[in-house]
Amino acid sequence: MEVLLISKIILMIALVVLILTALRISAHNSTAMGLIGSSVLTLAIALALVTFSKIYYIEFNFDIALALILFGFVGTIVFASVLGGDE
Amino acid sequence: MSVIIELIQSLLIIIAAILIIVASIGLLRTNKDLKNIIYARIHILGLVDIACIIAFIALDEILLGAIYFILMPFTAHAMANAFFKSDDKINNSKLENMDGKNETNPNIHPISEFKQSKNEENSFNENSDEKFTVSTLEIKEDDET
Repeated sequence: MEVLLISKIILMIALVVLILTALRISAHNSTAMGLIGSSVLTLAIALALVTFSKIYYIEFNFDIALALILFGFVGTIVFASVLGGDE
Repeated sequence: MSVIIELIQSLLIIIAAILIIVASIGLLRTNKDLKNIIYARIHILGLVDIACIIAFIALDEILLGAIYFILMPFTAHAMANAFFKSDDKINNSKLENMDGKNETNPNIHPISEFKQSKNEENSFNENSDEKFTVSTLEIKEDDET
């Protein structure tokens, strides 16, 4: 029981590092780097929400994580298509 | 039995955390002056994606893991494709020949045009200042004579 809780806390720390990394990547000059950073940030926040809800038993965070993953995917695809141009 | 399952879960979560930290360090430490750095970072992003899928499955969120497992390749391919079509002057011969102009995408404007328009605005302001100073000088000359 305690091992699972400790591993979740370790995962939360790793996710905080990942979120800071994603913010740093998003601050680059290139637009593609901003796209990569936002994609990583969406995934990291979704996983952090799921982990947080598993620790504190908050049920509605799963719905937020599902919406984040789906709409993050849609936003990335749309922005990439706008950036790449239509042929 | 449940103790064994919890041990396996915690082992998977710790593996995912280690992979996430390694990928974060890799994302930060890659030299940005390298040739195809964007593709390298998208490659590292694949490691983060797989680590997060492992964590989703270990946290009993099979649906989220499965959805992201399906959507992940589309995202990575879209980002690489967008970079190749818009910014990649090393590998894309069309961009190399067009000298910054992207005819297929009206949303992208080359930086040279922007700088040129900026210089024109500055030159207009400079010319107006010069005219003003010349006129004042003439007035001063008249006053002296």
